[in-house]
Amino acid sequence: MGDKTDVWQGTLALMVLKTLEALGPLHGYGVARRIEQTSGGLLSINYGTLYPALLKLEQEGYVSSEWGVSDNNRRAKYYKLTRAGRRQLAKEAREWEQTTAILARFFAPAEES
Amino acid sequence: MGVRRLRGLVVRLFGSFGRERLERELAEELESHLQMHIEDNLRAGMTPEEARRDALIRLGGVEPTKERYRRQRGLPMLETFLQDLRYGARMLARKPGFTAVAVLTLALGIGANTAVFSLVNATLLRRLPVNDPEALVYVYSGQPNSLYSTASYPDYAELRDRSEVFAGLAARGGITASLGGDDQTELAVGQIVSGNFFDVLGVRAALGRTITTADDQTPGAHPVAVISHGLWQRRFGGDASVVGREISVNGHSFTIVGVLPAEFRSLEQGRTDDLYVPMMMQAVARPPRGGYSGEMNPDLLQVRGNRWLWLIGRLKPGVTKEQAAAALAPVTQQQAELYPDTNRGRVSTLTRVVDGDPQERGSLLSVAGLLASVVGIVLLIACANVANLLLVRASARRKEIAVRLALGAGRGRLIRQLLTESLLLSTLGGVAGLALGWWAVDLLRAAPPPPGLLPVSLDFTLDWRVLVFTLGLSVLTGLVFGLAPALQASRPDLIPTLKNDSSAHDQKHRRLNLRNALVVTQVALSLILLVGAGLFLRSLWRAQAIETGFDESRLLAAQLNINLLRYTRVQGREFYRQAVERVEGLPGVESATVARIVPLSGGSSVRGLIIEGRGGADDFRSENAGGGGAGLDTLSVSVVGPKYFQTVGVNLLKGRGFGETDKEESPPVVIVNETFAARHFGGEDVLGKRLSVNGPNGPWREIVGVARDSKYVTLGEAPTPYAYLPLAQNHETGMTLLVRTKNEPADLAPAVRQAVESLDRNLPVTNVRPMTEMIGNSLYAARMGAALVGVFGLLALVLAGVGLYGVMSYAVSQRSREIGIRMALGAQGRDVLRLVLGEGMMLAALGAVLGLAGAAAASRLLGSFLYGISTTDAAAFVVSALVLSLVALVANLIPARRATRVDPMVALRYE
Repeated sequence: MGDKTDVWQGTLALMVLKTLEALGPLHGYGVARRIEQTSGGLLSINYGTLYPALLKLEQEGYVSSEWGVSDNNRRAKYYKLTRAGRRQLAKEAREWEQTTAILARFFAPAEES
Repeated sequence: MGVRRLRGLVVRLFGSFGRERLERELAEELESHLQMHIEDNLRAGMTPEEARRDALIRLGGVEPTKERYRRQRGLPMLETFLQDLRYGARMLARKPGFTAVAVLTLALGIGANTAVFSLVNATLLRRLPVNDPEALVYVYSGQPNSLYSTASYPDYAELRDRSEVFAGLAARGGITASLGGDDQTELAVGQIVSGNFFDVLGVRAALGRTITTADDQTPGAHPVAVISHGLWQRRFGGDASVVGREISVNGHSFTIVGVLPAEFRSLEQGRTDDLYVPMMMQAVARPPRGGYSGEMNPDLLQVRGNRWLWLIGRLKPGVTKEQAAAALAPVTQQQAELYPDTNRGRVSTLTRVVDGDPQERGSLLSVAGLLASVVGIVLLIACANVANLLLVRASARRKEIAVRLALGAGRGRLIRQLLTESLLLSTLGGVAGLALGWWAVDLLRAAPPPPGLLPVSLDFTLDWRVLVFTLGLSVLTGLVFGLAPALQASRPDLIPTLKNDSSAHDQKHRRLNLRNALVVTQVALSLILLVGAGLFLRSLWRAQAIETGFDESRLLAAQLNINLLRYTRVQGREFYRQAVERVEGLPGVESATVARIVPLSGGSSVRGLIIEGRGGADDFRSENAGGGGAGLDTLSVSVVGPKYFQTVGVNLLKGRGFGETDKEESPPVVIVNETFAARHFGGEDVLGKRLSVNGPNGPWREIVGVARDSKYVTLGEAPTPYAYLPLAQNHETGMTLLVRTKNEPADLAPAVRQAVESLDRNLPVTNVRPMTEMIGNSLYAARMGAALVGVFGLLALVLAGVGLYGVMSYAVSQRSREIGIRMALGAQGRDVLRLVLGEGMMLAALGAVLGLAGAAAASRLLGSFLYGISTTDAAAFVVSALVLSLVALVANLIPARRATRVDPMVALRYE
């Protein structure tokens, strides 16, 4: 567990949005597990940090929530991407790709030399 | 993105409220999270305990998660504030006595400031109800020693036509008008205005139209009038059909063409003009008035010597006041050269209208400054008092605060909470103060100053400025009295406090010192106010003891307004004769007379003086111009009827009074007063000397008598040269009837009024009142000053007394163990009394010394408000200090006596 990276908030929000886009409406626990899985166990998030992040996204109108019933018949709050959330995700994904592309150029020559 | 963030903020703002449901949902969401996690863990083969433990660890704990979630849900700052507010309100509600005293104290302080501010707001900050007042200037035409004077019509017309700097230059001259018409006659004040007057101001009629330049082309051609909203309501019941109706103005019929908006009362402070007529109608609109030569109504459009017009101009865009003044200078100079008799030495002076009347502004500012300082001091004392109360309470709450600090509350957080409480207190005080201030203003409004005595308009309105001022003051007050106690209270030494060792602690601590400093300040400040009040009282007392120089008891004055009736000179003279005769025929009347100027009524008539055989002034009589100036010999005069000296009770020291022999055609005579004789003739015999008050061409009047000095305009005035002219040789129309009665003069008022009105029932007899009342009015300013400063001084004294008492009581309660030990060791009640009393009186004495020094410095500012006493009047200082010491003694004695009754056993066990 030791070398797992902490997740900072902005990135967490992006991951949440991406997860909701990929899987459709999902409860907080599901989102957390999915993020952990996708990262291949490299990321360990404190599940508790997810809820304020979800709330913030909801306050800003990127996700909406409603109570539903889970697979094993348990009442849970389901989060769903809104149209604004979809747009925001596309925008942030683009920005992220740009950032990583730029950084990649910086690091590439250093590794070669 | 910005929008989204804003949306988030708004949602969070509401997230601070109604949170029970939200809390339930949060708990449920986390619970379902945990359950799902536990189930997964069980499936993965953990034991139930392990599964639960792991789920909780991975979540990061339920409560911390909730706390993080809550922080995101609402606005923590706001929530903390609301929480502090709720907590503060609970604390205040728990101590209703403390809260009541603090709020009341603050309400008094803030209320006094609110009242004074609304006064300032109504006067100095008043915005003229005109278009773009910034571009308006007053144009004065005066002499170098009295700049702010009026202009004549010919002067005005030339300035108007020959200057390029004004978009328009307007003129106005005041009139008194008897309004007749629908069988009710009333007296109103109004203005004769140039045709462009309303244009220049940018004032439009609310109904009909205003006067225009078309109304102002040919003398006598357009008898039209514009009336005020007030007159419209009062006399015409707000009837819209008033436009086109006729109204009789001083006996001439005018057509009403318009009604002004309600907010336009007058250009002048504190005045309401009800009527406006065009300049070209002045000959009929203006009440005839006896000129100095006795002529009726000269054509003022032609006379350059009669300066009766106030000018107001609107500067063209981009033109400054200075440029305009420079542009007027050549015109004025040319007038001076062409018409040296009337215009020599005249200069034009411009002031901005928004700066107010230059002659009144100074006195207004000093009155406002005085009041503001007084109420400012009261507020400071109130702050000191509440700060003291808070300190006492903070000691009582020391344990609570120490516990909170020990549990980890941040000091900043505690200070914020204590300040929130202070602000809550001061806001409550502010609200109560607003009510109190308005009540005080209502009182002032109910007892308005006699007209003309104070340049203050009393139309207060509760506008946003007053509200903002009071609110701002409340917040400031809360910070002032709250900050020091909050800083101190949040810094207790935890250990002794928690160990419940309160007494040893306080002795060595700054807290008591801050309290002592506050008490000393309070004592000093209240002594300053007391001395101020003392000075005003002494001055009032002095003023009342001032000899008027005549016998004002049993003297009744009644204004006869025959100038409104267009009597001819012969009719007028006959009317006066008959009026005096009828009144003298009334039972209870000793004698009666008439006079142009009633002593101490505030009126005066100043003329240029030339003594035969010596050089002198060549200036003409100027109305309203006041005392004249250096370098120019002027003389105040009054035209009086037969038996004036006998009726008013002015003794003649030399020569004779006016008699039957002084007829219109007989040689002109004059009676002067002692000061005149002394100043202009020294030891010489004045009888038989001649003087002129009508310019170098005479008539030359022979001095036939010397009257005793009396007070003429104000009680506080220095002896002034004065002269009396006989009515028979100087016709005047604005005379006042003076009646010497055998008994209470007020009782005779109805009979006198009836007797005069039986001569002419159209004559409005106004202002029938005893002379003593008139003199009382001239003391209005002194009395108001004494009353206001006195009330505030008393208030300050009470507050300081309470503060002293509070601190000493607290000190005694804290030292009861020490006192108990002393008594157990054999100290007598007397010793304890001396100990406690000595300490308290020490504080009072320190405050008194500081206060006396402060008062000596501050009272110098009072000089212009005081009659006949110096600002360092010893009596006022000594008595004030004694009164304060007495109050301090009482405030100390109560706790000191309580200290002597400490039972040593109880005191020792208690700790």
